[in-house]
Amino acid sequence: MTFFTIIVRGLQRRPVRTGLTLVGISIGIAAVVALVGISRGFEASWATGMKVRGTDIVVSNMGSALAPKPFSATVRDRIAKLPQVADACAIYADLTSVEDASMMVVSAREWGGFSWHNLKLISGRMPHDAMEPAVVLGQTAAEVLKKKVGDPLQLETKELTVTGIVDGGAMVENGSVILSLALFQNITGNEGRINVIDIRAAPGLTEDEMKHLCEQINTTAPEARAMVAGEHLGNSQAFRFISAMSWGTSLLAVIVGVLGVMNTMLMTVFERKQEICILLAIGWKPGRVIRMILWESALLGFLGGIVGVVLGTLAVKVLETLPAIHGMLEPDFNAGLMAVAVALAVIVGVLSGLYPAWRSSRLTPSLAMQG
Amino acid sequence: MNDTNPHAIMKQPLPDSSATTPPALVFEARGLKKDYDDGRVQALRGVNFRITQGEFVAIIGPSGCGKTTLLQMLGALDLPSAGILHYRGRSIAELPDPAGYRAREIGIIFQAFHLLPTFTAVENVQMPMFETDRPELSRTERAVELLKSVGLGHRLDHFPAKLSGGEKQRVAIARSLANGPSVLLADEPTGNLDSDNTKSILELIIRLRREQNMTLVLVTHDLNIARMASRTVQMKDGLIVADHPAT
Repeated sequence: MTFFTIIVRGLQRRPVRTGLTLVGISIGIAAVVALVGISRGFEASWATGMKVRGTDIVVSNMGSALAPKPFSATVRDRIAKLPQVADACAIYADLTSVEDASMMVVSAREWGGFSWHNLKLISGRMPHDAMEPAVVLGQTAAEVLKKKVGDPLQLETKELTVTGIVDGGAMVENGSVILSLALFQNITGNEGRINVIDIRAAPGLTEDEMKHLCEQINTTAPEARAMVAGEHLGNSQAFRFISAMSWGTSLLAVIVGVLGVMNTMLMTVFERKQEICILLAIGWKPGRVIRMILWESALLGFLGGIVGVVLGTLAVKVLETLPAIHGMLEPDFNAGLMAVAVALAVIVGVLSGLYPAWRSSRLTPSLAMQG
Repeated sequence: MNDTNPHAIMKQPLPDSSATTPPALVFEARGLKKDYDDGRVQALRGVNFRITQGEFVAIIGPSGCGKTTLLQMLGALDLPSAGILHYRGRSIAELPDPAGYRAREIGIIFQAFHLLPTFTAVENVQMPMFETDRPELSRTERAVELLKSVGLGHRLDHFPAKLSGGEKQRVAIARSLANGPSVLLADEPTGNLDSDNTKSILELIIRLRREQNMTLVLVTHDLNIARMASRTVQMKDGLIVADHPAT
């Protein structure tokens, strides 16, 4: 028998209570895994979207809203003239409800711009020209909207025709309704306005040169802010808010877990008061009793963490099947997140066990003689 | 089994009765007092005694006379309120490591056995050994040997709930011997047993004490048990009122 056997037996004493405590911790950890995984996945997916479009720098004004703030389309021409800018494509991107879908990315792109080039037709065709009342749908968007080539699509007050279904190579692209910028500006009354410019830098620029180019763009176009693709989303106040909300919600769930473990370990110390006194009476040092309680709570946390990681992953898998958000999630369940979640659970366990362990160390061995 | 252990079961020769050196002083108490509730309860009111190596001392007296309190003081389970209590010349109250003292020098047998219910007999016996540097295998071997020595070789993997009262007390006795103590403290060890088990448990304790030349301090209110001791200490109202050698 090892010391670990004693730890495990301690938890096996009250299997129902141990099980319920595990459920409490695992729900907290599942929330961390699910919310943070979704949040990080969204960021990673956005970065992938930029990569497949061949975008090196994104110029936008990511304020506190979910979609960037609009600015004058003339900014695009000013930036395009910079020597190290190889290409620029003006975009109006919006997050809005489209027919029955509560939230969808609508990406209106400069006709003929490079941001169209990554789109691979799966069926149908691309619009013939910038003003044809047509859209192409990413394959996930087509599934969510239940559209096929030739179907009508209501966008604002205008009925457009779905002329093609495309594979954009990234979740964000595949979840988008894509149309010509000029057509979108016309439909929404936003003539001359854009809110994103995708930039392709001259080939061979180093990281420092890329940052220098961003500074040049920022000087040229103070209306917006240039950032290396992939970084811009993390600088969005809205995204930061969502990210903070994810962590905040998760932490609330974790705090509930902490209280659960603390309650369990306090009950354990209370119930096993005489047992602990016997151990002290037969020669155990208070430090060993403290270690026993802390290891039990840490093990509880560890097991809760493992179960929580599995639960969180499964929960997101189930969410992904819901029609309302099908194809909208691309969670990032990397090993780092799993490790952080389990480590968090263990920390929760240890912290929750501190007070009960301290209580146990205050017991006097003479109590063993009673009863 | 640790062959180098000076108190290893059945490996020690019986004390040489012809030796001229007096037996070593194990416990010495002078004016020992213990109060509870800010002095409102005086469990020990100035106790004086000396116990030497190998003695079997029975402490008798009515309930509440301070027998168990005295045993707690001897085992460093609690601290005296006043007076002197020495173990082999060292003050028990000032021991730097009272847990280590309990683990290595003292074996305690409780009236209610106090086995841990979620551990088997062999696991219960190993419990005190966690405070020593014995490796796992050695702990198990020692526990098995101790259980065999108390006649429970066939009950090694039984949980306490599956053992009779007498068997539980045998496991508890084996546990008390785990680290080869030089002193056994027994608090009414047969109080929860029937007469047959009382007899066999007492015989076992007395045999083990003799084989290992341990000092045995046994608290009882049963005069028949006290008669088996080499010395009887009678207590009343927190004081020793009589101290008789064996008749």
